[in-house]
This record gives sequence, C-alpha cells and structure tokens, in this order.
Amino acid sequence: MNALIVTAVLGVMMMFSSIVLKRNSAIRMLAIVGLLFTFIANVLDSSGVHFFSINIKGMMHFDQFAYFFISISIFCTFIFFLLSAKEMERIGVNYSEYFALIFFILCGIILVASFTSLLILFLGIEIISIPLYILTGSDKKNLKSNEASLKYFLLGAFSTGIMLMGIALFYGSTGSFSVENSVVIAATTSPMLLIGILLLLFSMSFKVSAAPFHFWAPDVYDGAPTVFTSFMATIVKAAAFIAFIRLFSLAFTPLQDRWQLIVAVIIALTLFVGNITAVFQQSVKRMLAYSSIAQSGFMLMALLAFNTFSVEGILLYIVAYSISTMGIFSVLVKMKDSSLEEFNGFAKHQPVLAVALTVFLLSLAGIPLTAGFLSKFYMLKAVMHSGNFLWLIIFAVLMAAVSVYYYFRIIQVMFFKESDSNTIIVSTSFKWLLSALAIIIIVLGVYPQLLLQFLV
Amino acid sequence: MPSLENIANFIHNWLYTTFNATVALLLEFTIVAILVIGLFSVLGLVLIFMERKVSAYMQVRLGPNRVGPKGIFQTVADTLKLMVKEGMTPNNADKFLFNLAPFIVMTAAMLILAPLAFAKNFQIWDINIGVLFVTAISSVSVIGILMAGWASNNKYSLLGAMRSGAQIVSYELSAGLSIITIVVLSESLKISTIIESQANGWWIFKGHIPAIIAFVIFIIAVTAETNRAPFDLAEAESELTAGFHTEYSGMKFALFFLAEYVNIFIVCVIGATLFLGGWMPLHFGTNTTFNEMMDYIPSSLWLFGKTFFLIFVIMWFRWTFPRLRIDQLLNLEWKYLLPISMINLLLATAMAILGWHF
Amino acid sequence: MGVTAILFWILSSLALLSAIMIVVSKNPVHSVLWLILVFFAISGHYLLLNAQFLAIVNIIVYAGAIMVLFLYVLMLIDLKKIVDPQRSLWIKLVGVATGCCLLLVLIAALSKADQTTALTQTIGGNIGLVENLGKILFSEYLVPFEISSILFLSAMVGAVVIGKK
Repeated sequence: MNALIVTAVLGVMMMFSSIVLKRNSAIRMLAIVGLLFTFIANVLDSSGVHFFSINIKGMMHFDQFAYFFISISIFCTFIFFLLSAKEMERIGVNYSEYFALIFFILCGIILVASFTSLLILFLGIEIISIPLYILTGSDKKNLKSNEASLKYFLLGAFSTGIMLMGIALFYGSTGSFSVENSVVIAATTSPMLLIGILLLLFSMSFKVSAAPFHFWAPDVYDGAPTVFTSFMATIVKAAAFIAFIRLFSLAFTPLQDRWQLIVAVIIALTLFVGNITAVFQQSVKRMLAYSSIAQSGFMLMALLAFNTFSVEGILLYIVAYSISTMGIFSVLVKMKDSSLEEFNGFAKHQPVLAVALTVFLLSLAGIPLTAGFLSKFYMLKAVMHSGNFLWLIIFAVLMAAVSVYYYFRIIQVMFFKESDSNTIIVSTSFKWLLSALAIIIIVLGVYPQLLLQFLV
Repeated sequence: MPSLENIANFIHNWLYTTFNATVALLLEFTIVAILVIGLFSVLGLVLIFMERKVSAYMQVRLGPNRVGPKGIFQTVADTLKLMVKEGMTPNNADKFLFNLAPFIVMTAAMLILAPLAFAKNFQIWDINIGVLFVTAISSVSVIGILMAGWASNNKYSLLGAMRSGAQIVSYELSAGLSIITIVVLSESLKISTIIESQANGWWIFKGHIPAIIAFVIFIIAVTAETNRAPFDLAEAESELTAGFHTEYSGMKFALFFLAEYVNIFIVCVIGATLFLGGWMPLHFGTNTTFNEMMDYIPSSLWLFGKTFFLIFVIMWFRWTFPRLRIDQLLNLEWKYLLPISMINLLLATAMAILGWHF
Repeated sequence: MGVTAILFWILSSLALLSAIMIVVSKNPVHSVLWLILVFFAISGHYLLLNAQFLAIVNIIVYAGAIMVLFLYVLMLIDLKKIVDPQRSLWIKLVGVATGCCLLLVLIAALSKADQTTALTQTIGGNIGLVENLGKILFSEYLVPFEISSILFLSAMVGAVVIGKK
C-alpha cells in the first residue's frame, strides 16, 4: 500500500513540477529520487513498516510475491530512467508530464500485482493502458506514432470491453468480484462462469500480446517513440503477465482442465508466430517487437503449472527479459534509425557497448551462462513437473533454436560487417551502466539464488 | 379554500371512484398531457409578449401596439401566421432527422416539467432524484439541436449547432455544480424535500455566501444553456443567419422557438425552487403576523412570481451585455466559472458538515 | 403479464432493434443516434429495477455527454467523401461465421445458466436508490472509488499532453 500511494502522489507532483522546476535535468532528478523513495517505501512495507493503515476490505492482498514483483518493477523503471530518461526530451515539450504518466503506470502495476478483486484488476489494467496510449502517440508530428496510438487505443478499448463482459459474467454467476478459489468452486457448474473465464483469458492474452491477439503489438511497438517502446515492452508487459497469472492461479485453478489446453495452444501459436516472423524483419525495432511476442510465449508457460519452479521462473524471466530488452533499446534510441545496417561494425566503434549488447542478445536467445537461459529452463521444468504438454516443451525448444538465428544476426553485423562511419555518442556513465547490467545478467545466469532468495 | 392541491385531489378521487384503476390512470395521463400542452402554449404566448414588451421598455419604445389593446394579441397573430405557413424541407437534407429534431427538443422540454412543483403538493412525479432528472433531460435537448443543425445540410446551421452543443455541454457543468451546492445543503435530491427544507427561510438567505455564489453562477450558466444573449452565439444573427434553425420554417420553426422560451421558464422555475424556496412564502423568523399574511397568498402565485422575476432578470441581461465571442465564452466557463463553482461546492460542503447554515 | 413485464419486453425489443440498427446503418451519424436510443432503453430497464439513480446517470453520462461528443466529431467529418472500404467476400464470410460461432456459444451457455438464484427484484428492491448506492460506494467500495480518481487524472494529463500544441 505504501508504494501505491507514494507513486500516485509522485505522479501528481511530477505533473506540477514543471511549474517550479524550469530545467529538464531537475525534473529528471526529482523523478529518479522519487523512484528511489518509492523503492524504499515498498521494501519497508514488505518488512512490516506501513505508512498508512487503510481498510481495503479484502480487495487487495500484498503477499511476498507481490512485494517482490513491485520492487522489481520499480527497480527496472529506475534503470529505465537512468538509461533513457534523457532521450525523452527529444520527443516533445511535455517532459514532466511523461514522468507523471509513467508514475501513474507504476501505480497501475502495483494494483495488478496485488489485486484480489476483479474491480481492482480492471482499474489497474486501465490505469496502465490509458497513459500508454498517450505515450505511444506522444510524438505528435510523426504519422506512424499517431497511427500506432490510435490503433492501440481502439484495440485496447475493444479488449477492455471483452474483459468487462468477462467480469460481468463472472459476477453474474458467482455474485462476487472476489478472486478466490472458493467463489469459483461454488459456481463450477455454471456455463456463464466458463464463458466469463474464456473472455478474461482472451482479453488478458491481448494485453500480453499473445497470438492470435498479437496483431497490435508490432505496429504499436514500431510506431511508438523508441524510449517508450522499451518501457512498454518490458515493465508494463511483465505487469500484464503478473496480472494474468495472478488472476488464473488465485481463482481459476479448480477449472484448470477446462482452460489449460486453450492456453497451451495459445502458447504454441505465440511461439510460432513470434519467432518465425521475427526472422524476416529488417528493422531491429520491429524484430524486437516480434521477439517480445515470442518471449511472452515462454512467460505464459507459468500458467500451465503453478509450482515453485514457475513462480521463481517467471520472476527470473521478467528480470532477465526486461534488463536485456531495455539495454538493447537504450542503444537503439541513440541510433539514427532502427535498421539492421545501423549496427554495421558497431564493435569497432563501441567495443564495450557491443560486448554488453552481445550479452543481452545471448540472454534473450537463451544461451547457457546467462539469466535468459536459466529462466527458460525454469519455465520448461515447471511445465515438465506438471506432467502434461510434453509436445509443447519440445516445440518450445525448437522455437528457441529458431530465435537464435535472428538474435545472432545482430551480433554478426556488429562484429563482422564493415562500418559506414556513423557512430553514436555516449557518455562514460552510460557505458558503465550498460556493462553493469550485462554483469547482472551473467551473475544471475550463474547464481539465480541471489535474486530468488528474497522470495521467501 | 380552493387550492391547486385540493382540485387535483378532488379529480383524482373522483376518477378512482368512478372508473377502475387502469382507466383512471390513463385518464390522469391524458389530463396531465393536456395540461402540459396547454401550459406550453400559454407560456409561449405570454413569454414572447413579455420579451417584446420588456425589450421595448429597455429601448424606450412602445413594442407591439396594434393588434388588440396594447398589442396583446400580436403573438396570437404571429402564431396563426406560423401555423398556416408551409413547413419546407430542404432538398439535400436528411429528411427524417430534419423533421424529427424539433420534436425531440420539444419532448425534452416537456419531460423536464415532470418533477417540478408548481404549488404546494402539486407535482406530476415526485421522483426521488428530481434534480438529477432535470439535469439529465436538459442535456438531451442538445442532441435535438445537433440533429437539426446537421440534418439541415447548411453550414450556418451546422456551425450554430456546434456552438450551441459546446456551450450547453460546458455550462451544464457549472449549472450542475451549483445545483449540487443546494443538494448538499438540503441533503436531498427530491424536489419536494428541497422545498420543505426552505420552510424557515430560503436557501439564498440561509446558505450564506456559498448559496449566493451558487445562485449567481446558476443564473449565468442557465442563461448560456438556453442560448440567450449575451451567450446567443448559436444563433448570432450577424454571423450565422439564424444558427441551427436557419432552414426551418412554419410550425417546425415555431416549435424550436417555443422550446426556447419554455426552457427559459423551466430553468427559472428550477432556480426559484432551489434558491428562492419554490412555492414557499416569504417568512421572517418569528414575526408571526407577517408570516401569516404571507401564507394567505396562494403557493402557486409565489412560485410564478419568483419565476417571472428571474425571467425578467434574464431578459434584462439581453439588453445590458454585449455578446461574447466563442473563445471568450468557453474561457469564461472553463477558466472561471468551473473552478469557482468547485471551490464554492467545497465551501458549501464544509458549511453543511459544520452546521453553519441556519 | 403485468405492466412491468410488458414494459420489459417493449424496452428489450427496442434496445435490441436499435442495437442492430447501429450496425446496419450506413451513416455513422444515424448509428450514433440509434446508440442513444439503446441507452434510453437501458435506462428504462434500470427504472424497472427501481434503480432511478443509475438510470439518470446513464442518460447524463452516455446520452448527454459522451454521445454528444461523438456526434460532434462525426458531424465535422465530411461523410460524403468517405467511401466504405471494400472488403473481400471471404473476410466478410469469415467475420459472419466467427460472430455466429460466438453467439452460438454464448446462447448455448446462457440458456443453461442457473436462473433461479439470480432473479432480480423488480419491485420493492431498493439497492439502486441513490441513498443505498452512496452508502455502499463510500464504505464497501471506497478504495476502488478513490483509485479510479488516479485513472481519471491520468486520462486528463494524457488529454492535455495530446491536445497541447
């Protein structure tokens, strides 16, 4: 609860900050300090120091997992601010408003990480979505950005409608918004409930861009300003996953046999579409969009098996995926455009960055000794333990092999192609930061308990 | 003593003893409908005549003076003229919507009459959210206006409709907020309860400064909502010919014209009900002789007196203030009236909680 | 069949008819007007449930504000210049087929749904009265209510970001 209120207040503060603070760097500092404070507030909250005592009438429940995930998202946002907050200046004049919107999104993330009532889930998803529509269209002079924003808004509104219909059917059959097993068990026989679950499944699949509900993702990720793409493809997406998994693991386990096959088919489709289409992309940004679809296929596996492996796996996955993707995007932001040729001979000009990028790409591809490998391994093992869906595991491994092709293509042009002499200018601190992130990826790949020990 | 309440009760009892319940109910519906239509036509005649005379007085001229004594039949003659005129429909207009629009505006105006209390216990439908009902239905009439403007297939009409739409939607906010101020003070949305809460003094006296501010804002907002000068941009003659009803003629035009005047009447009734005590006579503390004397005046006269005073004020505005530009109009609402009424609402709430009103 | 039942059927058929007309109408302005009619029919349903507050708020918010803005935008567009995009017959067929499948599933499921537990009180029920609604909203559902303010705030900030030059 601490972090929720702190982020909301910070959002309002950022909104008004441009009246007082004239320089962008001051606004940026305020945001970063505020985020640090939020992080501390959340850690204190998880260790029993509550700033506020509010009777939430059982609509939210902050368990250790929720606290941990909230900490991770705040941490990732912190990294995002450090890496790319400066690039936001180039998008438009509403610098402080962008921060305000990001804080509001964080507020929504906290809600979806801790809800136990469908009402809060809906509010959380909407608080995440609406600022994202705006951020997508924030590059107002760019036609592609406008188109992406409109597309995202229309499809997002449509999927929210489906979600509301699902919630209505859930409420109609159970008489409660509460996300609990007991509520569902009481109404297992109701066909209305099953349809409600199905509609919720579809709308949540849309939010995490799983095939066949993924069509918005490439256009939106491609059209949005790259800075915001890196935010929405990582932290926001992770939050959507947490909401998805929380909803289905808390409430719908009694009806597991009814929906798990659908989820398995969705995962297989997602893996297939994401990986195969990514192979044909010429633009790195678009390739990353499809790769994020492909990665969500793996993350969705947590829905097939609710055990310790999947819980640890999904968190590890989120950290590994978010850090790697944000790292690549932070370099991409600084490039002229996002075509593959831009990376020609990158290793000669920026050897440090090239090595860091290589680590990120290896992690995304799931090469051993990186966090990406371990997280994929955890997910597959979780499904293995549940005993079903052997075909899916084999298919997933195959698809992971395909993914190696397009990730390695970037590594190949970075190291083995001649450059066209266009370089990017980066500060030393940026290099240090990116190297540190690469080290985190490797350390987590060797010793994941460093992260997971907090989850007790 | 024959009051409207007694007459209504008498008719009600007579109907229910003579016929069975369903027939009696239907007959009552019919009587109410006839009364409403009758009220509308009388109001139309009276208000238009009043407007002409008031403007004549303001401009130091005579006004209508040929038809009948002092010209009182002038409006009747005009109505006859409008009735026998051909109601034309432009060639490229959306015929159905074009013809539907005046009726929607009219129906909306009629619906608002439902919760209004015209005299003591004389009310069509005492719904428990009366004030909200009024706000809701008055927001519907804008649909009719937009429809008329668009269906006419005329750029003046469309511009007029757009302006009037923007105006009504924006000013509804501050009108609503000032209504809510009174709702907060009287702790009810029901019209009859709001009036009863003013038995020991009208809200404009009891409610201190917040009520007065709310009253002023309410009057400004409803002047704008009824598209009256100085906010009559929707039909600014010098710019837009006649605004959204440029293409209308004959009876269809008359309906718009009538609806406009009836709307003025309605908003003034609401203003009188909320701030000036509705049909409640003027009472001063414990001065019983004075209070009893006031009680002898019929409640319906009290209401109509207050209402026509407010109507006079609104007509007065027309000849006092110059017309605003559209951006000035919207600035006035969003930058001044809305923040003021929000803060005012906060004040009124604090006052109601602390019990500072009488 | 009492008065309530007759009204229910009239309102339901009106709502369904208007809803179909929304989709069928070629002219978007007509669609919006039909949609307004749907909202009125639904408000009528609320009245039948003795939820007058909801009925009125439905009219204020949807018919009075949102739909007016819709009309506003649509009327500013020159609709004559916009020709309906031609879709291939296949896509139309697939659309119809999937739509019908969904409808079939929904009908099949809802027809089996347990009705006895969920019958709503039409007369005498007073959950929808403004007093009870307010009490529930500000006690039981206070937290979601407050949280929704963040939602609106973010939407407002967004509108400013998009709208400002």
